[in-house]
Amino acid sequence: MSKETEKIQEPLIHKDENILEVSHLKKYFPIKNALGSAKGYVKAVDDVSFNIKRGTTMGLVGESGCGKSTTGRTILRLIEKTGGQVLFNGKDVNKVSKKEMRDLRTKMQIIFQDPYSSLSPRLPIGEIIGEAVKEHNLVPKNEYDAYITRIMNSCGLQEYHKDRYPHEFSGGQRQRICIARAIALNPEFIVCDEPVSALDVSIQAQVINLLKDLQKEYNLTYLFISHDLSVVEHISDTVGVMYLGGLVETGATEDIFQNPLHPYTKALFSAIPIPDPDVKLKRIILEGSIPSPANPPSGCKFHTRCSECMEICKKQAPQSKDMGNGHVVRCHLYD
Amino acid sequence: MSEEKNLNTKTGGASTSLDDEQRVKVLSPGMMVAKRFFRNRLAMVGLVIIVCMFLFSFVGGMIAPYGEKQVFRTTETAIKDYAGVAENKDWQYSVADGKEFPAAAQAQMILAVNNGETSFTAKDVSYGLLKKNDDLYYIVQGEQIATVTNVRGNANYKEVVAGALTDSVKAAYEAAVAANQSEFDADGVHYSITQQGRITSINIAENIAIASKYVFSGATKEVEVSFDFKCAALDAMEAEASSMEADGVTYTIEENEEGALFYKDGEEYALVSTYNISAINDGVFLTLEFRNAALKAIDEGAETFTFTDESGEETEYVLKRKNEQYTVRSYVETQVNDTYAKPSKAHLLGTDGHGMDMLTRLMFGGRISLLVGFVTVIIEVLIGIIMGGIAGYFGGWVDTLIMRIVDIFYCIPAMPLYIILGAIMDFWKIDPQFRIFVLCAMLGLLGWASVARMVRGQILSLREQEFMTAAEALGISTHRRIFIHLIPNVIPQLIVIATMGLGDTILTEATLSYLGLGVKFPYASWGNIINAVNDSYVMTNFWFVWIPAGLLILLTVLGFNFIGDGLRDAFDPKMKR
Amino acid sequence: MGLFESKNKKGANYISAKESRRISKENRRITAEIEKKRNRKNIPREEYITKMKDPKNVVEFDNVHTYFFTDIGTVKAVDGVSFEVPEGKTVGIVGESGCGKSVTSLSMMQLVQRPTGQTVEGEIRFNTGTEVYNVVNTPAAEMQKLRGNQMAMIFQEPMTSLNPVFRIGAQVDEVISLHNSHMTKEEVKARTIEMLELVGIANSEGVYSMYPHELSGGMRQRIMIAMGLACNPKLIVADEPTTALDVTIQAQILDLLRELKDKINSSIMLITHDLGVIAEMADYVVVMYAGRVVEKGTAQEIFKDPRHPYTIGLMNSKPVVGKKVDKLYSIPGKVPNPIDMPNYCYFKDRCEMCVEGCNGSYPEELKISDTHYVSCYRHVNDAVKEEN
Repeated sequence: MSKETEKIQEPLIHKDENILEVSHLKKYFPIKNALGSAKGYVKAVDDVSFNIKRGTTMGLVGESGCGKSTTGRTILRLIEKTGGQVLFNGKDVNKVSKKEMRDLRTKMQIIFQDPYSSLSPRLPIGEIIGEAVKEHNLVPKNEYDAYITRIMNSCGLQEYHKDRYPHEFSGGQRQRICIARAIALNPEFIVCDEPVSALDVSIQAQVINLLKDLQKEYNLTYLFISHDLSVVEHISDTVGVMYLGGLVETGATEDIFQNPLHPYTKALFSAIPIPDPDVKLKRIILEGSIPSPANPPSGCKFHTRCSECMEICKKQAPQSKDMGNGHVVRCHLYD
Repeated sequence: MSEEKNLNTKTGGASTSLDDEQRVKVLSPGMMVAKRFFRNRLAMVGLVIIVCMFLFSFVGGMIAPYGEKQVFRTTETAIKDYAGVAENKDWQYSVADGKEFPAAAQAQMILAVNNGETSFTAKDVSYGLLKKNDDLYYIVQGEQIATVTNVRGNANYKEVVAGALTDSVKAAYEAAVAANQSEFDADGVHYSITQQGRITSINIAENIAIASKYVFSGATKEVEVSFDFKCAALDAMEAEASSMEADGVTYTIEENEEGALFYKDGEEYALVSTYNISAINDGVFLTLEFRNAALKAIDEGAETFTFTDESGEETEYVLKRKNEQYTVRSYVETQVNDTYAKPSKAHLLGTDGHGMDMLTRLMFGGRISLLVGFVTVIIEVLIGIIMGGIAGYFGGWVDTLIMRIVDIFYCIPAMPLYIILGAIMDFWKIDPQFRIFVLCAMLGLLGWASVARMVRGQILSLREQEFMTAAEALGISTHRRIFIHLIPNVIPQLIVIATMGLGDTILTEATLSYLGLGVKFPYASWGNIINAVNDSYVMTNFWFVWIPAGLLILLTVLGFNFIGDGLRDAFDPKMKR
Repeated sequence: MGLFESKNKKGANYISAKESRRISKENRRITAEIEKKRNRKNIPREEYITKMKDPKNVVEFDNVHTYFFTDIGTVKAVDGVSFEVPEGKTVGIVGESGCGKSVTSLSMMQLVQRPTGQTVEGEIRFNTGTEVYNVVNTPAAEMQKLRGNQMAMIFQEPMTSLNPVFRIGAQVDEVISLHNSHMTKEEVKARTIEMLELVGIANSEGVYSMYPHELSGGMRQRIMIAMGLACNPKLIVADEPTTALDVTIQAQILDLLRELKDKINSSIMLITHDLGVIAEMADYVVVMYAGRVVEKGTAQEIFKDPRHPYTIGLMNSKPVVGKKVDKLYSIPGKVPNPIDMPNYCYFKDRCEMCVEGCNGSYPEELKISDTHYVSCYRHVNDAVKEEN
């Protein structure tokens, strides 16, 4: 399976402005039968390509089960890919040696959705944040304490929190700890996997602002995964919309939000409730729910729910088409 | 806390702001667990039980007055027949050396005595009977020297043995006839007169036996009362003399109602009595003193008497009368193991079949049972953590391999294996103390599978938690990921499973010991204490041998399970609702 | 004890063992008393049958206090909440986690986890149309009849709200036959199919014989709604009904709820943290903060003319599609844990619009209009003086 995919894929040409280049990334999870041999695959990520420019934020939106989180983790090589290529600063993440990978780890970090399960419950905060710093010898020993304190302060945590344990903190503060833990390694790129979804509205705003501030301060690049379109719009420079393992539309945030092209994107945006009782949107209600990624529909994967479905959609998968200004859409409507 | 206040003043507010997490004091996680645990009544009951068990076993064993292997002995007093005493009504025959007085003659003699005859014949041998008194006859065998026929007052002597009938014999005979005596002495020879019809014979008489109703017994074992002595003694008693001479020795006589005591040189020599006293057991020699004492008691009609023997030991004897016979019974004290003693002040729970104090055995048994439990569980947990940790963390073929090994260990029928191993240890005669450790190792090696499975499951679910993904993303080393991030999170579940395992192990140990394959005598364990019940007699009669040990096992296992349940609920309150 | 003390020195904020024991003892005393009163046999009807203030309302919350007697102290999760749910209207309760919105709804259903949680004061009057129950005092047996029949609840987690081992049909049938004992089996099944169609399940006959795992989250939530509506309740309590769902599914469900409400003419108590959902669904909005209602009014009033700084902050801190702002407004700090609350405005510490009066005691509920009330010192002068 993987050999086949390697064949059809053209080698990536690295551009210096891009920190991350993803091409034809695939991740299939085998469905094992009782004897342990694969009887099928869940195509969690199926042929995803995008680039992220240094110092920008790319938002990745989609409904649950569309493969956004798997994409993020496969990029970081927390999950081994099935096919495709991920270049980080021009280096193929999947081809580097173990030692190089260890160094690469400090450059790419991840922040998780659930601030409760993402902190080791039996370690004090200082240790959680500083553990990897020690492990990679990022700062001299005599500066270590001051460094951790500085990182904590920049994430809105106090020095006296160092000796506390995660259970003593609220969700928002835990998320700050997670951010501090990632920032402490001085990374260039952070995958934010739904970092604010589990937080209260008022705390959400704090964390989003913090992430934005840190981006400016440390010149960070984010891959911001979320199902919350309003948050993605607020924080992202470019947006990718995923449906059932594949990107259906990518482009600059303004282009996507003001001129959504793909019927799925349109439906998604119209579904967002607007906190204004006077605004009564003409809503595009999608019928049914997402098909199983183990058995995706043929042709365009969205055709089962699409309101503008054509005959061709059922047979042939659409190719990506650049509509100008990097606005890429995969839909037969624009052929 | 002062530090906190400083911080607050720094940030501007004089008082703590409402959203400061310092405003509301919370329970530390340890306290939370403790509180949930202590609130659980069953768990508290379990805790109390286990603490009591520990105190009982370890502290109790220390302050117990007895040792584990101390055997208690007791003196058992059994009343036993010691001697028989009977008033002698039969003739006792003493036969002179070299002479015979067969049983047929004895019967004839009795007939003769009853008929008042002075001679009798048995088996063509004729015997003369000389009556001394009612109770004493001399049996003589004589040679006829002459016959006398009385014709109208004149005696016609007819010699049988020529020249034997001298004048002096005649004179003595006449004197004897005149005196109506049946014997006489002449010239130093003893003659007897026997009457057969009209013919009277004069015989040279020879004493071959004495028939009397007196019984002779020597003062010591060595004393053999001779025939001459008997003759002399009986004569002397007849004569009521105070001394007599026999075999060239002079004896003094002290007569009493039933007979007489003979002293030789001031020492007791022999007893003559109408009572026959004999020991029941062969080899027991009854001393004269004892006989005297017994006779005295019979005389007095007493039921018991005490007698002090030569070694100064005082013994109480009981007299039991049966018709004319008396049985002397004595209390015999023997030292035996104090087995199956009923609970008493000295032994609060009695003693077991080996005469060891039950309570002390239970204490020491508890030590071993608990020790075996703990050591085994520690072994189980160590192996389980390592195997389960490796399987859970690395997954893949390592996981498959280890889990198949676990499956195999689950399939091993443990009990037959224990029995075989126990038998092998029996065969090798392994030292009981060493055997306890072998037992622990055995139980541990066979019991780790469930711990490994639990640890693997926990680690598998923990591995999927985001903090583990985070640790990987941070580039933390595998070693640190396992030992700093994973293992500490498994510890609560480990404590729970270990606590529950303790109960199980104690049960297994008890089972094995009960079967005689675990802890061996003389070491006590609750299991081998109950082992006594394999005798239904013991089971029905001596409750104190097995019920306490059974209760202790029950309570301990229950206690550990309660604590285990309590800990599980305390660590993971979601499980409860 | 030494252990805990040394921990305290390190700065952690732990209760001492002694203090904790005292709290536990006190809690036991209080809850035992309440439980004893509740578990009496044959509670007279007068104790729980009352009268509505306004018969047009379905539910009236009147100064309700629901406390949790926990190990760290009494959590005043709901502390003096008053609002009404008018007939045929949707009332949205909005607030952040820990503000007491869920406990309010659970108090309504008498589903607060006893004996730790207790409604200690106030009245929740529920109008069944024929009688008015004070839910707080209604005995459990009576409550059983009300729940499901007269009031239904839709939970947040459609994944766990259905029993995985029974078929969908059986589970809906059970609810219907439980409250309609006169119905025959066929009637019950017909009603179930009808309900499934009502909630927009096309293949209703097929779904009837499916197991929950065969359905997606959205479908399950529809089933839950069908079960809730099966007996034509007067009130539907929807506790974050769409939070666990994707936006497209959320839109479906919200559409459905709105449609159904008109069809069966019942009132909805919608609990959510999403202002967008509230704006779309609710006729009246209740904003809660730390166990208290800080502002309530019609949706128009709340969204167009928010008065309380918390309401304003909440609206500003949510990015809105199409409205580009450089930096989001964020309310500083976090929601307080409602234990040992002082007697001043709970929002004071996070408020950036404090005025002189804010240092005083907790603000009274001020009337801005007939429907709009706010508890804030900033509006003392705007308030319509009530004439007594």
